[in-house]
Amino acid sequence: MTIRWTRIAPQIALTPAVAVTAVAFVGSILWTIYLSFTRSRRVPDYAIDWTEWSRQYDRLFQDAGWSTALWNLVTLGLGSALAIVFGFILAAMIDREKRGEALFRTVFLYPLAVSLIVTGVAWRWILNPTMGLEATLHRWGWEWVDFNWLAQGDTAMYAIILASIWQSSGFYMALMIAGLKSINSEIWSAARLDGVSLPRLYIEIIIPMMKFTFLTCAILLSLGVIKAYDIVLAMTNGGPGQSTWVPAYFVINALSQKQNLGYASAAAVMMLGITLLVFLPLVMLTAWQNGRREAR
Amino acid sequence: MTQLDVTEAAAGATVVRNQARVRRRKGLNGRSIAVLVFLTMCALFFCVPLYVVLTTSLKTMEEIRQGQIFALPETWTLEAWNFAWNDACSGITCEGLKVGFWNSVRILVPSLILSITLAMVTGYALALWEVKWAGTFLFLLFLCAFVPLQIIMFPLIAITRTMGVYGTIMGVAVVHSVMAMPVLTLIFRNFYKDIPREIMNAAIMDSGSFWKIFVEIILPMSGNILIVVLILQITNVWNDYLVGVTFGGFNTQPMTVNLANMVTVSTGTATYNVDMAAALLTAIPPLVIYFMVGKFFVAGITAGAIKG
Repeated sequence: MTIRWTRIAPQIALTPAVAVTAVAFVGSILWTIYLSFTRSRRVPDYAIDWTEWSRQYDRLFQDAGWSTALWNLVTLGLGSALAIVFGFILAAMIDREKRGEALFRTVFLYPLAVSLIVTGVAWRWILNPTMGLEATLHRWGWEWVDFNWLAQGDTAMYAIILASIWQSSGFYMALMIAGLKSINSEIWSAARLDGVSLPRLYIEIIIPMMKFTFLTCAILLSLGVIKAYDIVLAMTNGGPGQSTWVPAYFVINALSQKQNLGYASAAAVMMLGITLLVFLPLVMLTAWQNGRREAR
Repeated sequence: MTQLDVTEAAAGATVVRNQARVRRRKGLNGRSIAVLVFLTMCALFFCVPLYVVLTTSLKTMEEIRQGQIFALPETWTLEAWNFAWNDACSGITCEGLKVGFWNSVRILVPSLILSITLAMVTGYALALWEVKWAGTFLFLLFLCAFVPLQIIMFPLIAITRTMGVYGTIMGVAVVHSVMAMPVLTLIFRNFYKDIPREIMNAAIMDSGSFWKIFVEIILPMSGNILIVVLILQITNVWNDYLVGVTFGGFNTQPMTVNLANMVTVSTGTATYNVDMAAALLTAIPPLVIYFMVGKFFVAGITAGAIKG
């Protein structure tokens, strides 16, 4: 009797989690994929016209807003990648120079504790052309500076990138410090004995040793960029025009403004595709690391 | 033998300590100064937004219009804070941020209880009990942890609507718990799987009951991980916007949504001091947690990021 209970009790305990996964994740994803083939507008319409099942996708690929969103996704990804570089530089410096480590870590990481809405509100105020940073610098006599990024379509994305970097650099710094700490301390003394210069030591030895930390950071960054919605909403609300649309914004916009469920679903499925594209390397990386750990 | 080991270890420790002391005594050389100067400048860059937001919130609008964003307030006033908390308009209601604050608290409590209980029990069952399909399920959870909300948004709206919780505090809390379940489960599972097999075997021999072992042995061991997850989840829920705006109803929206409405849909002239005070009010709870128990916060975000 007891033996049987040890088998059944865990299964019962797992039922809620399995149910949530099956309904809220697997079932819902399939539901959305199904909807993307239908002509649903405001309410779901479950009839599929098989002669033109791909009409939502065809429309999507012709939509200028969607291609803007994809381009902005790439721009945001590449721009935010600076946060990884910046995070690594900060981590390397903090790790070498132990003085003030706790203080610097605390300061660089605090933006992460704050909501992206707050970050967006704060940076939008700083970039305010008539009363913000630009006005102050103009008063100081630096008439040539132009920080009115948010009002222009071709620079608004940079403002979002700037705020994202401010927000997330500390996070990558924390991951990098953990990575640096796991490096064998003998390497430092060995390098000193061999007379290897510091820049060469970092470029030729430390960075290659930390390639998995970098890869993890890059994947996490990409996944974060795909989800980026709050910061866009708070800083530009997609504007000016459609110039700062990203896929996450596009889906919400199609759902709540255009009230076009089928179209939003198609865009959401594309988002899922992009997520999977980024996600596969992560799965492979984890599998590889687990394999290595077991081999040891 | 053991004696020798101990003395040797002690000697080694002294050497290490001496080396450390030598290194420290070396003092500031040029490179150290350069590094410290650079780090300090970066730290200033990170602090500038907080400084600007704080000083702006303490100024009057006349002063703000002078366009001296870095200047300290001439007349310090908490008027903007008072207005943001009590009277500022968000949408058509003008009752200030306090409405959103209390909504956020009311969302936070049930979502914490729901998500942490579910994740803890699931993690425990997956880590310490023999479940044949545990591996497959863990992999599935790993995938789910990265699904953006947009992809399951409409189905979740339809489901919560059928359940009758759409637009209520409970609805927002449930969706938060669902979205957090995969990551939190993985964190708990990774913590529990390092519990020695012998402890579990002895416990099974002793009482054998799944729940008894959980309450008497596992729960008392979970203090640290519980704090880490608690902080991770508090900041996640508090800082969320999308779940709140989608699943919250007319007067059940959390503080972030309240703030965003207040800032973007302001009628008439913009009052930046009120906006900044509102932003700070929204940021204070997570910031207080961060400055008080930063260590756990860092542990939480790195665990959530890597294991998730």
